Amino acid sequence: MKPKRIWSWLWIIVGGLYFIIPLVATFLFSLQAKKSGPSLVAYQRVFSDPNFYKTFLFSLEMAIITILVSMLLVVPAAYWIRIKLPQLRVLTEFVTMMPFVIPAIVLVFGLIRVYSGPPFYVTNTMTGTNTLLVGAYFIITLPYMYRAVDNGLASINVRSLTEAAQSLGAGWGRILLRIIFPNLRTAILSGALLTVTAVIGEYAIAAFLVGIKAFGPYMNLLGGNRTYESMALAIISFFLAWGLTGMIQFASRGRTEALPSVK
Amino acid sequence: MLNNQEATLADNKGKGVPLVRPSRLKWKDWLAVVPFFLAIFLLLIVPSLYLFFGSLQDAQGNFTLANIRSLFSDPLIATAYANSIRISIVTAVVGGILGFLMAYAVTVGGLPRGVRAGLVTFAGVASNYGAVPLAFLFINTLGRTGLMTAFISLMFGLNLYDDLNFNLYSFWGVSITYLYFQLPLMILITIPILEGLKKEWREACESLGANNFTYWVRVAFPILLPSLLGTMLLLFGNSFGAYATAYALTGGLINLATILIGQQIYGDVLHNVGLGYALAVGMVVIMAVTMAVYYFLRRYSERWLQK
Amino acid sequence: MRKANLVISALLIFAVLLAACAPAAPPAPAEPQAAGSEAQPAESAYMQELIKAAQAEGMLTTIALPHDWCNYGEMIETFKSKYGIEVNELNPDGSSADEIEAIKANKGNKGPQAPDVVDVGLAFGPQMVAEGLTMPYKVQTWDTIPAELKDADGNWWMDFYGVMAFEVNKDAVENVPQDFSDLLKPEYKGKVALSGDPRASAQAQNAILAAALANGGSLDNVEPGLAFLKQLNDAGNFVPVAGKQMTVAKGETPVLLRWDYNALADKAILEDNPTVEVVIPKSVVLAGPYIQAISAYAPHPNAAKLWQEFMYSDEGQLIWLKGYCHPARYTDLVERDLIPAELAAQLPDPAIYEKAIFPTIDQINAAKEFIANNWDAMVGADVK
Repeated sequence: MKPKRIWSWLWIIVGGLYFIIPLVATFLFSLQAKKSGPSLVAYQRVFSDPNFYKTFLFSLEMAIITILVSMLLVVPAAYWIRIKLPQLRVLTEFVTMMPFVIPAIVLVFGLIRVYSGPPFYVTNTMTGTNTLLVGAYFIITLPYMYRAVDNGLASINVRSLTEAAQSLGAGWGRILLRIIFPNLRTAILSGALLTVTAVIGEYAIAAFLVGIKAFGPYMNLLGGNRTYESMALAIISFFLAWGLTGMIQFASRGRTEALPSVK
Repeated sequence: MLNNQEATLADNKGKGVPLVRPSRLKWKDWLAVVPFFLAIFLLLIVPSLYLFFGSLQDAQGNFTLANIRSLFSDPLIATAYANSIRISIVTAVVGGILGFLMAYAVTVGGLPRGVRAGLVTFAGVASNYGAVPLAFLFINTLGRTGLMTAFISLMFGLNLYDDLNFNLYSFWGVSITYLYFQLPLMILITIPILEGLKKEWREACESLGANNFTYWVRVAFPILLPSLLGTMLLLFGNSFGAYATAYALTGGLINLATILIGQQIYGDVLHNVGLGYALAVGMVVIMAVTMAVYYFLRRYSERWLQK
Repeated sequence: MRKANLVISALLIFAVLLAACAPAAPPAPAEPQAAGSEAQPAESAYMQELIKAAQAEGMLTTIALPHDWCNYGEMIETFKSKYGIEVNELNPDGSSADEIEAIKANKGNKGPQAPDVVDVGLAFGPQMVAEGLTMPYKVQTWDTIPAELKDADGNWWMDFYGVMAFEVNKDAVENVPQDFSDLLKPEYKGKVALSGDPRASAQAQNAILAAALANGGSLDNVEPGLAFLKQLNDAGNFVPVAGKQMTVAKGETPVLLRWDYNALADKAILEDNPTVEVVIPKSVVLAGPYIQAISAYAPHPNAAKLWQEFMYSDEGQLIWLKGYCHPARYTDLVERDLIPAELAAQLPDPAIYEKAIFPTIDQINAAKEFIANNWDAMVGADVK
């Protein structure tokens, strides 16, 4: 009673074509910067544009800071809730799903209106604006981070570890630093990679807070003004996404996370 | 608090090692979670509340429901919501069905293991692909001088734009573009669900004499339906809140709810601050309902499909 | 754990490679030229004060200045390296209306979200004054700016102008349209576009005004222009897309109505791939001046003033000229014979410019209002 294979192949081929044709089309177009024939000059121009590196590194920097902040806030909280405050589980589950309910554009709208003006004036300095940016990214990656850390904690039997450490005389700080964090390395890594993926090309929040200093708005800018370079950038983005996804799969032992990402 | 004490005492029975001192929770015990919740409060709750209360105020700061009413009566806003909802429904349904079929193909459909691995990887990549470059991808495919446009013109002699009135920067164009991240999401979520269909059920069906069709209609689909519907709701929400792709594709000229909010952030294009907030709150309400139903559907289906 | 270590090492190596591959940072900002550069006369005392004050503020926030618009890219970079002041660029896609909204939305905000200076269409000048959004200032070279194109009290002043043209992708059309009437021909079905939303973009509004002039209207009567757009839309020739370089190059909007300087800039960037031809319509040569203003709520007023001084110096004016724009002090520069021959050669034919019509502010304003109020009703090209 095996279902006819032909249908399976059909759907896969249809889907496969849908995914691949746009990439092929863009790649072909990106090679046409010179009328004389296919050339890689568009790619050369992208890689020799200092703004490419500046914006990419800026976004990467923001991603890394977000990861650090996330870790520092999420890991102790998740740990503590498991060990001592199980009554907060339900509330926390709810709260960490809330970012899905607030689209990124609404979040940045609210953040700007609340913190830009009196009495906070957060966006009066570059540092302040960047902090707000990290804050926004913390929120939108919260569901992924929390879930990754929580799953990680679930898999390492925190109670026993904590008991053992305490019986040896360790204080809470020590436990967190020397036991919990190291054991969560894989979980944190998977959360970190998801954060990097979400932040690097992110557009809505970056555009309104920092503008063309971030990678997403930079790509959009190029789209308007540099036809061939923007196509080359689209292909470069593909390899970037491929690399990041590969690392995510690698780090999470083949389980592919399927949470909606910020579009 | 009492439960906590009892639990720990029960744990300790027979172990001889006192773990958590069986006392009431002190204020110190909340320290670890305070920064976490404080951050969420400041960065998520406060802005949401601000938008909410802002939507209920008029220009002078008095309480009013006029803004909420305008959401339905103002043609610009109503159209924006309608467009967003329509695109979201279309991409959720099409993405849902096609995604299901593709997930089916690589799980129950009997294709080689390699195809499954390839699909999962590619779906992962496509769902992590940036919103802005995605727009460029489709301009090259379905734009006036796109590869597919040219191909269709060559193969069928039909010009998408002139004869079929297609337009990449309109409803169908944006929907087809959105599918690029909707489809992978459906695939990645549905594959584990399909694999959660216990083989025993199918074998039981066969042994009772049912054929493939009956199995699917009477057993499999009823079990799968809640999670499939739930995932399609997730897709709906994903599309409804999307901003960057539509912006990069159309230069911000398409009338969608998210685009309208973007314009409102740059400057008060609606000439009514409260209305802008109402716009945002309306979106959140729709998303909240969507996610709530999704959540319940998922809990309901997990009962059957737990591994 | 080994896997995690592997991935971490891979990431670190990648980050290092990336940092190493980045091209050398642009040369460190030149020593602040307080005493003036080699070929120029020593800066006056006022300028020296201004430069010091501006450098103390350390930053300038601009808005809606695409780098290829009148060569703003070079203007910004030169300003940055000459005075060592950081430039924070907001919303490069913004229209004139967006810029004004940004000032209003950030009145109390002294941070990087609030623009210091704006560059908007002529029509927006009086509106800004009426709403109290400008900080009056007169640059050192104020007197060489034509009187009709500046506000007597120094609230705003013209920066440059060009004329409305067709940017045509020669590879995507068989015949290059020469005038507005050509645009209605069936061969241009789905090929004609504006460069922005006519309810907000000065460039788009001027395109409609030019269409009006070509169709029996006048500077006071823009209705034939809207009627023309309606005809265009009904015939299926109009593409409701905000045209830009990419859409022209890809053939999405092969005939784009925009300022000649933008069209010429695109032509240069695309390097013949595809070939772009810039056509100034035979029947109408409509000039479109843009104006500069300093925001009344500017967080960095001195940097803003220095920016203006820089743009209106000979050096700044020539940078604009390089971007194919006619800067405000063009006549003055010509009289003093300061324009290099190569720059003059790449500008459009001066004979055409002789015929250029300059609308007055009231005319532009009336047109703007009419279009804003009637676009939806008359043309209603709404992207679905």
